[in-house]
Amino acid sequence: MALESAYAIEMLGITKRFPGIIANDNVTIQLKKGEIHALLGENGAGKSTLMSVLFGLYQAEEGVIKKDGKVVKINNPNDANDLGIGMVHQHFKLVQCFSVLDNIILGVETTKHGFLQKDVARKKIMELSDKYGLKVDPDAKVEDITVGMQQRTEILKMLYRDNEILIFDEPTAVLTPAEIDELMQIMKNLSKEGKSILFISHKLAEIMAVADRCSVLRRGKYIGTVNIADTNQEELSRMMIGRDVQLVATKEDKTPGDVILHVENMTVPSKLHHNNAVKNVSFDVRSGEIVCIAGIDGNGQTELVYGLSGLENITSGKITLSGKDISHASIRERSLSGMSHIPEDRHKHGLVMDYSLAYNLVLQRYFEPQFSTKYGFLKKKEINNYAEKLIDQYDIRSSQGAPTIARSMSGGNQQKAIIAREIDKDPDLLIAVQPTRGLDVGAIEYIHKQLIARRDEGHAVLLVSLELEEVMSISDRILVMYEGQIVGEFDPKKTTPEELGLYMAGAKRKEAGA
Amino acid sequence: MVLLLQYTLLFASVLILVALGGCFSEHSGVINLGLEGIMVMGALGGALTLKVISPELPAIVIVLAVLLASTVCGVVYSMLLAFACINFKADQTLVGTALNMLAAAAATVIVKTINIAENPDNVSSTVQYVASKKALVVSIGSFQFNWFMLVALLALIAAYVILYKTRFGLRLMACGEHPQAADSVGINVYTMRWAGVLISGMLAGIGGIVYITAGVSEWKFENGVAGFGFLALAVMIFGQWKPVNIGLAALLFGFFRALSNVYSGFDFLAALNIPSSVYNMMPYIISLAVLAFTSANSRAPKAEGIPYDKGSR
Amino acid sequence: MARNNKIEKESFLSKPAIQSIMASLLCIVIGLLIGYIALLIINPVGATEAIITIIKNYFTYPSKAAALKYLGNTLVKASPLLMCALSIQFCYQAGLFNIGAAGQYVAGAGASLFCALSLGLPWYVCLVAALLAGGIFGVIVGLLKAYLNVNEVISGIMLNWIGLYTVNMLLGGVKEVSSPYTLSIANTNPGALIPSLGLEKLFSNNKYVTIAIPLSVIIAIILKIVLSKTVFGYEIKATGIAKDAAKYSGMKEKKNVIVTLFIGGALAGLGAAFLFLTGYEQWSVTQSSVPGMGFNGIAATFLGGLDPIGTIFASYFIQHITSGGSYLDKNVYPSQISDFISSIIIYLCGFVLFFKFFLNGRIRANKERKEGGNK
Repeated sequence: MALESAYAIEMLGITKRFPGIIANDNVTIQLKKGEIHALLGENGAGKSTLMSVLFGLYQAEEGVIKKDGKVVKINNPNDANDLGIGMVHQHFKLVQCFSVLDNIILGVETTKHGFLQKDVARKKIMELSDKYGLKVDPDAKVEDITVGMQQRTEILKMLYRDNEILIFDEPTAVLTPAEIDELMQIMKNLSKEGKSILFISHKLAEIMAVADRCSVLRRGKYIGTVNIADTNQEELSRMMIGRDVQLVATKEDKTPGDVILHVENMTVPSKLHHNNAVKNVSFDVRSGEIVCIAGIDGNGQTELVYGLSGLENITSGKITLSGKDISHASIRERSLSGMSHIPEDRHKHGLVMDYSLAYNLVLQRYFEPQFSTKYGFLKKKEINNYAEKLIDQYDIRSSQGAPTIARSMSGGNQQKAIIAREIDKDPDLLIAVQPTRGLDVGAIEYIHKQLIARRDEGHAVLLVSLELEEVMSISDRILVMYEGQIVGEFDPKKTTPEELGLYMAGAKRKEAGA
Repeated sequence: MVLLLQYTLLFASVLILVALGGCFSEHSGVINLGLEGIMVMGALGGALTLKVISPELPAIVIVLAVLLASTVCGVVYSMLLAFACINFKADQTLVGTALNMLAAAAATVIVKTINIAENPDNVSSTVQYVASKKALVVSIGSFQFNWFMLVALLALIAAYVILYKTRFGLRLMACGEHPQAADSVGINVYTMRWAGVLISGMLAGIGGIVYITAGVSEWKFENGVAGFGFLALAVMIFGQWKPVNIGLAALLFGFFRALSNVYSGFDFLAALNIPSSVYNMMPYIISLAVLAFTSANSRAPKAEGIPYDKGSR
Repeated sequence: MARNNKIEKESFLSKPAIQSIMASLLCIVIGLLIGYIALLIINPVGATEAIITIIKNYFTYPSKAAALKYLGNTLVKASPLLMCALSIQFCYQAGLFNIGAAGQYVAGAGASLFCALSLGLPWYVCLVAALLAGGIFGVIVGLLKAYLNVNEVISGIMLNWIGLYTVNMLLGGVKEVSSPYTLSIANTNPGALIPSLGLEKLFSNNKYVTIAIPLSVIIAIILKIVLSKTVFGYEIKATGIAKDAAKYSGMKEKKNVIVTLFIGGALAGLGAAFLFLTGYEQWSVTQSSVPGMGFNGIAATFLGGLDPIGTIFASYFIQHITSGGSYLDKNVYPSQISDFISSIIIYLCGFVLFFKFFLNGRIRANKERKEGGNK
């Protein structure tokens, strides 16, 4: 009898290439049985690719995967499932209009003569739910339940399949602080029951709190594995980024000036459900300050911005921009009145992906006399020259410069293009919604600098962010949103992430609007 | 009155079959705009079977033979859609339209070729099936019961059971709603979409033969099926992709379509002296109105019309 | 460095056009091949001759004069086809599949013939009437799409039939007594015929050859300019590629959808007038199927690589083989074999986008590999 391997899963020397990039370059990860093993790296470091290889979504060009010491071949998610590997994806793979139960059994349905045997499934789900403390309502539709319950559904999906190796891909990004604590406890319970867990994250505190060991990736390369007991956040951070970084942006104190944006009792309807997404919200943004809307995803921030930018009509209330009533102005009028908007979804709203970079850089101003004749013809030469100028000034990198198709650019440079376009309009108010999402540290630093520069030049900036770290480091004032309302206003110098967390989770509230 | 009921049920049967076809295809994630063409091919297979089959055979044999022929033609033809749209990610609107045109042209060419072979002077695109068509019908008093009405009813029940009670249905709908989710639990999205399209081919093929045998005993294939495939899509949208609702919607549309066939039999309608063109237009106008009121909040399968690409996640 | 950039840019720009032409030619060759196979199956003896007849069209006439005359006829029908194709093409740029072009064409035919025969108006007024009628049909689709989210394909098809029966009713009053066809314009109101300005002389005095033909080509060129060089074209294409981004940037995407469909409808309506106001064809008020012109336009659009200039050639080609089909021996081969070939070509066009995508992916990958190698 062969010696039993101490490792549940080993990925040895994995190399995965995509056209133009090496996503994983000779990466090795060994997951011990029953441990919580963190996989740390920046956005784009290759964590997701590596997990996709393990889960059978991609095939690696080089390297082997071993399960319990034996080499295995994983060609598709079915193979992974047969080996007892399950995964909670960053973007949940749940069918919205199905019930929790239907989602859990999908793919491994118990049937009798071809008919679904849901009662059998329900019993097993309830047992698992009790055993691991995963509260769900099996008959609720996924579209009606909270994000936390959706995640528990995803976890139950793995347990229902008797998976032994559980992968969590950035599981905390969408959760409230309380839900995060709960998830940490669940993960610990699971590992106590003998499950081996791979925990993908770029949040150091969480890794320190829950993991046994941590492997670090940087730009597709394997940097090393450390015991959590023998390390600290600083060391992990250095391993992840490769240098010491100043995550806290520096900025001078500044006294805010005139009110630029004045919002009074604004209510915005929701596209997703019948309730209003933003309820009777009032606040000001002044020149020379960065006001940050903090909150857990889905508490009305998106709709708040839609209401401000005109993408959605507000049902009541008043919006004033530099003294001008724009409550019912069109998107174009608002833009011309001095509002710029870095949208949350840069692919959907921010760019015409099949247009050239040059065309995208004039998306807000193509109709200006500078870029079009009075007979309605585009001045292509001027557009190109302007594009070249912005490309230079904002260091937007692309394969062919101005004629590059936006789709072929990297995420960071796409975002730079949007920021260049929106800032170069020289707006009185810049609204930036999660401008750093999915970008690497270099790009994040760059964007923070740009936002602070706007503030220092005496303009107003409204930042919507889900990252508390970002909120704390660059804002002058913090408004916390919870269930469509502003439940608190804070000075970043006088508050703590813990305090903000309580408000974000709805555990506390105070009247805002002073 | 009985005639109106009879035609209403007949046209409703056509719409139920074809709309259910569309429903299966869309629940799998593929918009099937080629239903019209598939109907033509199904009708062609059925009509030719009726033409060559001996009217002496037992009725049940004739009915089954016709069903089989229409099914096979519909399924085979729908493969063209599945192949282009699923495997090659072609524009579903374009391919559906191409199939509609191709079916009209191909059916005309085939029928004409057959007619010319029989008699070089017969260059028409008409197939006659007077004798064997009688096998499809059973007279109950003055009401002529058509076996296809039963087929449509069975299809409706089967569709409900399959979609909501079986593993296949659950997986099919997952592919139309969230193919990445289906893929991540090991369901082969391509296979399920193929299944959805082939089922739509089967149902639309049968719908085609029902349509051309409703009321008439010959069919001129140059005329296709007069937009019925698209009416069926309107029925499907009105029925919100749910079998039971589709059944009810089909009855409504069937009624208006039947009116244009039998309005002259009603004295008060005939007395109004409305041109027949108005009655002909009715189903289309109704469907336009219905679409106007139901499309804004429609609950179409979320991923329909989007080719599934394993690479992009 | 600058020159290098320029060369690269040029080769980049020329590639898609070349790809389109290659792909279209491939579709034509495969389409004709399948058509030939069909002919072989129908009757192997004359199949080769038959496919040659289809390809030769008017060249089957030995005399040059006759060939020119029938070239004229093909052009007369190619011009409305081009207009329908442009209608579909223009709407497709805005992300709309205007299958309702067939009905807009019908509306244009009804309006122009009604104005010509019933109201006795001159040709230019009839043209405007056709333009407006088609435009209104387009606008209905546009309004339903923009404000009520109705799928434009389904509403378009419904309007095709509504248009057909309405026009049948409308023209019922101006038909010949003994036939279902509308009165001859030449006899009733010659002023409604589109003038030829001497063009007929170039085509062996084919009186159906009018300024409609050059006009349709000019319209194609105008559309090309509008789409590639104007603010309006910029907005239309942005709306077509990324509706949400267009809205975000403050374009009135609903207005654009409606305006686009108005223009699309007007083009198709005008196309009908370009045919019926030559007197080449008369409308049959008992017809029970929507004329195929609008649907053939889809073939021409996609075969033309979704480019107005390409569409000119594609329209001519589609009409060329359709006309060619009518020279077949009707007692051996059905003339619809041409429609069959056209529809096969459209089907194949469905693969073109994939083919190009695939090809571009390969080119990009190759390039990146090269660049990677340089580093």
